[in-house]
Amino acid sequence: MKTYLNLPKRFLGFLPLYIGVEVALGVTILNKCSGLFGILALFTGHPLEFLQWVLYLWSIFSFVVYAQGLFTYSKPSLLVFSQIFIAFSIDTFLTCLFTLWFTNQWYTLEDNTPTQKSIAAAAMQEPNQGASQSFEFVMTIFITLASLIARLYFNFVLASFVQGLLQHPRYMVDYVDVEQELRTQPVWKRVWTRTQIRCLRYSKQLLT
Amino acid sequence: MSSFLHRVFLSERPVYSHIADLETSFDPRISLKRLRRYRPGLSEAAHYAFMAAISLYVFIEFPANFFLKTLCCSFLGLLFLMPATSQFFFNGLPILVWLSLYFMSSYIPDSHRPKITVKVLPAAETILYGDNLSDILATSTNPVLDVLAWLPYGLFHFGAPFVAAAILFVFGPPTCLRGYAHAFGYVNLIGVILQNGFPTAPPWYKSLNGLKAANYSMLASPGGLVRIDELFNMSLYREGFKHSSVVFGAFPSLHSGCATLEALFFSYCFPKLKPLFFVYVCWLWWSTMYLTHHYFVDLVAGSVLSFVMFTYTKYTQLPVDTSLWCRWSYAQVDRYDITKLDPLRANSNDIENVPLRGVEVDFELNSMDETSSRTPSIFDGPTSVSRSSATSNTSLVEYPTEVTVPSPRVNKQRFE
Repeated sequence: MKTYLNLPKRFLGFLPLYIGVEVALGVTILNKCSGLFGILALFTGHPLEFLQWVLYLWSIFSFVVYAQGLFTYSKPSLLVFSQIFIAFSIDTFLTCLFTLWFTNQWYTLEDNTPTQKSIAAAAMQEPNQGASQSFEFVMTIFITLASLIARLYFNFVLASFVQGLLQHPRYMVDYVDVEQELRTQPVWKRVWTRTQIRCLRYSKQLLT
Repeated sequence: MSSFLHRVFLSERPVYSHIADLETSFDPRISLKRLRRYRPGLSEAAHYAFMAAISLYVFIEFPANFFLKTLCCSFLGLLFLMPATSQFFFNGLPILVWLSLYFMSSYIPDSHRPKITVKVLPAAETILYGDNLSDILATSTNPVLDVLAWLPYGLFHFGAPFVAAAILFVFGPPTCLRGYAHAFGYVNLIGVILQNGFPTAPPWYKSLNGLKAANYSMLASPGGLVRIDELFNMSLYREGFKHSSVVFGAFPSLHSGCATLEALFFSYCFPKLKPLFFVYVCWLWWSTMYLTHHYFVDLVAGSVLSFVMFTYTKYTQLPVDTSLWCRWSYAQVDRYDITKLDPLRANSNDIENVPLRGVEVDFELNSMDETSSRTPSIFDGPTSVSRSSATSNTSLVEYPTEVTVPSPRVNKQRFE
């Protein structure tokens, strides 16, 4: 086991890790539903930029990957959870990039729209009931950072869970048997399982 | 009729089982005797302290005659004292407290209210989800979509909790409805506290006023529901929203919270219908955004609140077994033991955990077969699938009832 990894051994310090995995996957899956709704722009005619399409398609893909784990966290498969862990880690990295990009988008485009010109005047009329611009900014950044920090913590919980699976003899994977079994499987399942095997190898390198 | 009901619901009732029985006595002395013996745990003490604090606040702040308020509380006290009524009112206490706080919300003086934010939600939504999904979905409207959106948002949402409670009471295991009432009450109560503590403008505000500062003299708008008024030639929503108790309460969405909670509880009790419940939540989410009542970030917040509350309720209150026909079919109710369920629990040095070839092969093959590897989860009936494990050290210990208690349902499968 890599000694430099100081991963959480309990979820929130007092709950078993599998409950953390259940919460992490549940919360993340709910967030990933955004892809399903974003893609509906195809039918509504709302214009989307290239990066928005990438975000929504990636959300749908990661939704599918995480959904496998939501049904198996109490009797986990190392292959499935390695794939989830790797996908979640990539997703965390991409989310940080998307967040930076869309933060820049919001504050460069939205703040220059004509409606902003009326803000100061409106705020003068009702100075005591509408939040100040600085409060709005602080709360937006707070929500953004809180969601990113929660996501990072969930990533560590997942890493710790997969590390636990890797160390547990019960969940060892016999590659030969897996490969043999794959011969009778359809192509998509072979590709999917080979991806899982690759993720398992990466997970081993990262966590053990 | 009674023989029909007896045949349908009570024919499988285990002999000498009283677990599904209800209190029928109206004698307050029984409750008082129980109260003297009652020793609350830490979580129960915290629960009642929290309920008492909110109730006291509402009692003091609600602008009604002191005598009337006292009379009302005394009547409630009587209902809590009689066993036949207290069994419902004690378990529904969070719902009562939520409703009292919700209707009290419109009487909170403006000077005591926090400032209204109008930019936080659209900004957070763009940053986290790439765009305002509400804008995307409300770009084009038509009457068919209007009605389709109105059904879950304007109709089902208000009737669903009652229908869900009735179904869970009859077809769920005993204590399931208690868990639902607890979770439902807390989700709504926390939601209303958040809505009052962090007032946020819904998407219809942005459509009407842009991002200019809001004030509490503004009335709520029906958003897209105004089209329903026009369609049916009525002014139900135009008038109704003028009297809304929480005008700037977009975050979190309790429409989403309630729908998610109903879907989670139903998925727990009737796992075969999970996809249907998921579709219902997605339908309601779409309708709230289409009608410009919520941003996606509100919906996710409401659902996350429900999911966390459901998970807490599941591990602390809900019965493990939900597979039998109806509440009268159960011989006993077992709760979760979170330590014994832990898949990482077994000691690696334990001889039983040394991988055996046959066991490993079986496990790995199962792991690639989606249908056979589906295991209990929040979306799954805990005992509706095989509890067998690759090794034997947990399976018998985890669910002793499966071994020791014969299932009363031998012939009859629940219709799901």
